[in-house]
Amino acid sequence: MDAVTIEIIRNSTEYIAEEMGIVLRNTAYSPNIRDRMDCSCAVLSAKGELVAQAEHIPVHLGSMAVGAKNVVEYIEKEGVEVEEGDVIIVNDPYIAGTHLNDITLLKPIFYNGRMLGFVANKAHHVDVGGSVPGSIGINAKELIEEGIVIPPTKLVKRGKLDNEILRLIASNVRVPKCTIGDLKAQIASLNVGTKRITELADKYGYECVVEAWNRSLEYTEKYLKTKVDRIPDCESEAVDYLEFGDELININAKIEIKGNRLRVDFTGTHEQIDAPLNAVFGVTVASTSFALKAVLDPDLPMNYGFFRAVEIYAPEGTIVHPIKPAPVSAGNVETSQRIVDVLLKALSEIFPNRVPAASHGSMNNVVIGSQTWAFYETLGGGMGARPTKDGVDGVHTNMTNTMNTPIEVIENEYPMLVLEYSLRDDSGGAGKFRGGLGIRRVYKVLSNAVLSITAERVKLRPWGLKGGMDGASGEHYVIKANGEKIKLSGKDTVTLSDGDVVVINTPGGGGYGKPEERNPYLVLGDVKDGKVSLSSAYEQYLVKIVEKDGELVVDFEETERVRGYGSKGD
Amino acid sequence: MKRYRVGIDIGGTFTDLVHFDEESKKFSVVKVPTTPKKPAEGALNAIEKARIEFEDIYMLVHATTLGTNMFLGQEGLHPPKLALITTKGFRDVVEIGRQKRADLYNLFFEKPEPIVRRRDRYEVKERINAKGEVITPLNEEELRKIAGEIRNKGYEVVVVSFLHSYRNPIHEIRAKEIIEDECPNIEVITSHEIDPEYKEYERTSTTIVNAFLKPMMSKYLTALLDALKGRGFKGRFFVMQSSGGISKIDYAIKKPAAFVESGPAAGAVAVAYYSKITGDSNVIGFDMGGTTAKASTVIDHEPSITTEYEIGGKAHAGRLVKGSGYPVRFPFVDLAEVSAGGGTVAWIDEGGALRVGPISAGADPGPVCYGKGNTKPTITDANLILGRLGEKLGGGILTLKKDLAKDALSKLADQLGMSLEETAFGIVKLANTVMAKALRIVTVERGYDPRDFTMFVFGGAGGLHGVELAEELNVKSVLIPPRAGVFSALGLLLSDYRADKVRSVIRSAGDISEDEIERIYAELVDEAVREVSIENAEIKMIRQVDLRYKGQAYEITVPWMNDVEECVKAFHDKHEALYGFSSPDEPVEVVNLRVTAVGVMSKPEVKAEKDAEHEPKPENYRGVYFGDGWMNTPIYARNKLKAGAKIEGPAVIEDYDTTIVIPPNYTAFVDGYSNIRIVRD
Repeated sequence: MDAVTIEIIRNSTEYIAEEMGIVLRNTAYSPNIRDRMDCSCAVLSAKGELVAQAEHIPVHLGSMAVGAKNVVEYIEKEGVEVEEGDVIIVNDPYIAGTHLNDITLLKPIFYNGRMLGFVANKAHHVDVGGSVPGSIGINAKELIEEGIVIPPTKLVKRGKLDNEILRLIASNVRVPKCTIGDLKAQIASLNVGTKRITELADKYGYECVVEAWNRSLEYTEKYLKTKVDRIPDCESEAVDYLEFGDELININAKIEIKGNRLRVDFTGTHEQIDAPLNAVFGVTVASTSFALKAVLDPDLPMNYGFFRAVEIYAPEGTIVHPIKPAPVSAGNVETSQRIVDVLLKALSEIFPNRVPAASHGSMNNVVIGSQTWAFYETLGGGMGARPTKDGVDGVHTNMTNTMNTPIEVIENEYPMLVLEYSLRDDSGGAGKFRGGLGIRRVYKVLSNAVLSITAERVKLRPWGLKGGMDGASGEHYVIKANGEKIKLSGKDTVTLSDGDVVVINTPGGGGYGKPEERNPYLVLGDVKDGKVSLSSAYEQYLVKIVEKDGELVVDFEETERVRGYGSKGD
Repeated sequence: MKRYRVGIDIGGTFTDLVHFDEESKKFSVVKVPTTPKKPAEGALNAIEKARIEFEDIYMLVHATTLGTNMFLGQEGLHPPKLALITTKGFRDVVEIGRQKRADLYNLFFEKPEPIVRRRDRYEVKERINAKGEVITPLNEEELRKIAGEIRNKGYEVVVVSFLHSYRNPIHEIRAKEIIEDECPNIEVITSHEIDPEYKEYERTSTTIVNAFLKPMMSKYLTALLDALKGRGFKGRFFVMQSSGGISKIDYAIKKPAAFVESGPAAGAVAVAYYSKITGDSNVIGFDMGGTTAKASTVIDHEPSITTEYEIGGKAHAGRLVKGSGYPVRFPFVDLAEVSAGGGTVAWIDEGGALRVGPISAGADPGPVCYGKGNTKPTITDANLILGRLGEKLGGGILTLKKDLAKDALSKLADQLGMSLEETAFGIVKLANTVMAKALRIVTVERGYDPRDFTMFVFGGAGGLHGVELAEELNVKSVLIPPRAGVFSALGLLLSDYRADKVRSVIRSAGDISEDEIERIYAELVDEAVREVSIENAEIKMIRQVDLRYKGQAYEITVPWMNDVEECVKAFHDKHEALYGFSSPDEPVEVVNLRVTAVGVMSKPEVKAEKDAEHEPKPENYRGVYFGDGWMNTPIYARNKLKAGAKIEGPAVIEDYDTTIVIPPNYTAFVDGYSNIRIVRD
């Protein structure tokens, strides 16, 4: 088989996954899938190996590689006979790999009676039951409180939708119309995928497609191993923490490179807890894939070949590989970010020129609502400074990338006023390259409501690298109508009265390199832009800035004095 | 003498001129190099080269990439010093944008640099709520202080953008008065004047992009018109908008951001016009040049339009990556872009796989066979080796160096362990797959099935790939219009006058009366008519309304039927058609009211030649490689083909600026308008 045909089939398979994603988004009911694109689609081999995936948020990257293979193995183990036209539904995170809200559908593709592979998709459903609306609550102690748990089950049997199962699911969720609409969209997307794969086999033949898929897995494996082989053998370890009550929950990671083998080991990580911060193994795999892909090669094609070249070990019973029935809903949104942080920290030792300082490290989930309305959004923060440039201000980083809600939309739709939306001055870690600034968002509620917040990096600040300072930590509070200020811990549920104000200050990114090595003109620019205060310029960057003829200028004499010699210019 | 209608398109490399002679009823074209430092000069050169008298031009339509070049930081174009005044607490809205990054896995990504630096963004105390009520009055004293600072710091343009000004512009209007009063020589632009739609980031961004382009475009267009007049031009002067409509110069000066994609828009207009002549109602326009391929869709002879556009933005798999550029919320011809063109480079990656693009050798140094120093093989080099492209182009003006192309491609062939022609054919096939898949995605995404379409193929490299590309897409027939190399510019002569107006209302469908809607429409129509009114032109007025289910973030546009309930019904139906379901019980919101005024212009009359079926004689034969091997293939000269000519594949038809490949099992027919239609046997 020639290289061109392999490449054409590989490319076509990737586009089929993309097209499935478009069908899913175009036919889905909930804005969560349509607008925030919290979904992904994949094509898998007959063994359940990921061949191609279209994902729009990194937290789904590679999670399908674990999830779909688990499902295929589960089916085999249970002796379930898969037939043409079947669709299997599953959301058990301990099998499907994320959290209960993510429902996975999987459909076998038969070609002239022979199994060719599977198409699958995963979508975040707005509610799957459980103790709180939206199913993600910080108080859950076990999985069952987070919603209905669906083991791999045939939702469609030989092309016929099983309405009993659909009703059973619909009776266990808060917005059944939405759930049914979204499931039907998922089925429509699988049907298009099946059709396109069949057309591909019509054109190139069954054997040719199977071989091209195998060859593309081998290609990714070989590509990655070649890259790893060029890296001298080494080991690097790091630890970082999640905040939980008065406790710090450690995540440990060790990266070992030996020849063309790359191994990631989470031994030493804190054991699982009775709170939803547990990240199922699929999330750990997704986060690890993100960190490795971003550092080794952002353009690396993602398929099962990746996991043949990389070994990921996470001891069972830990927060990065919990055992049932630990609750897991926030593992996706918060723990995933910390896994990336700890891996980036370890990778920064091996690839000092490729890894930024820590980013804000939290998705800063804000839910405000009452019985009649609910507003949910996640807020970005400062990106960590990079070895060659500053961190980006006010942006979503690493495992998520969802858009904000425009203020004019919020105020038209919800009883709220937004009083401020800005970059947090002085929140970026000082350094030769400055960490990105966090975001300040201030809401005033115009009716009684409940605020629920899940945020991290409130105690521990995002770390700097190579002498760079840490970024500012998150700082969130409620100001009552009488002026009373209630500080929030980052994992709170608070009752609000009409007129109360909620202030969210998201963390800034860590700095890179020593602040006193920063070009004084860059410091001057930041001061002029109000991103760094005059006092920080002097105290942290050792740059004296003064006003001269109505304009801010660097006082080089004083700057040289405090910085020592050779500080002028770069 | 009212003899010529002229279109001039100033592109990055070439300035194309197309003119229509009312006496002979014929189109002619001229190509001259673009003069980047003095673009107007290139335009004048083109007119001189076309040998037409300035006095004889009765109408001139202009398109330019200057706006885009300004964003690329082209030398010699000076950005103005801008300031922004916004509501207290919100000066960073334009810097945070929509908070997402354009590149998921790249840790070294950058967000687009804010056009107005933070230090130039001022906040003033004022607030209007979503209902349009003033909850904090404009602090005029504070504003006057800011105005003083603006005067002292030497700003040229000031943008004023306050929250909810689409609903109630009273504070923006007052702020403008105050600043104009304090700073008499500074231009003040308010957001509600430019883009009175809701969503603060997009509205402010659109206004800022306008302010950024305004001084340059106004100077350029005025200078060009003066120069034309100086040479005796007395006709009417128009500028092409990104929507495919044309407008008078004053509107181009007021809203330059509505003109940045004028060149490609003209291409879609040309496709629309020819689709009427040929009777094709669903058409994909495919324009492949040196570095990129662009596709538009034309349904019922109207180009598809979008309002989601980002200037300076990047495309991935044909689609715009959100957050990669600066949003501009005006109507744009909906274009999908793929980085594949004649100059696109083929290479082998670290894993040993053959890749095509996205790197391009462009026009300079260009493909290896140009002999200008590039050694990386391109799509053009592959076409040359396969005999698809002849060694002499443009009637002998350019000779391609086949031996250089062979050397370059042999290296790839050796690495792949394939023969030279297999490798070249692989490159062409791969390029076609990549383009076809991207085109498929963009048509499917817009709710169309490419199988129902005819593909109009143009641009210098289009004819080489069109048929095989269409086969990948299952498109039933391909049409190569005449003058395919400058077909886009032809659209400049075929357009109508157009003005688009929009107003956000965001009200529950049950809460808003027909009277109230009609009142707003009357205002919008008034504004629009003022822009398009021109003697003798018939004006078509299109009223549309954007509706959505309450709580959802996407709207569907339906025609205004003088009755809210009827529109809501049409909305449910369209939702069902587009997405496969509707929710008649859910509350519906009226989001935007839209008016498009079209001043219908007379069009050049293209006469058909009588056709008589015949098989023309080839000029010569050469070996051309198709999937099954080399075939001795007849070569035809396009300018000698008469209406009714029928050519069976394999065959190659050479035009002076493009080459058309007809593979085996395809037949080409030449119609009375010199179109070549190619269909599968």
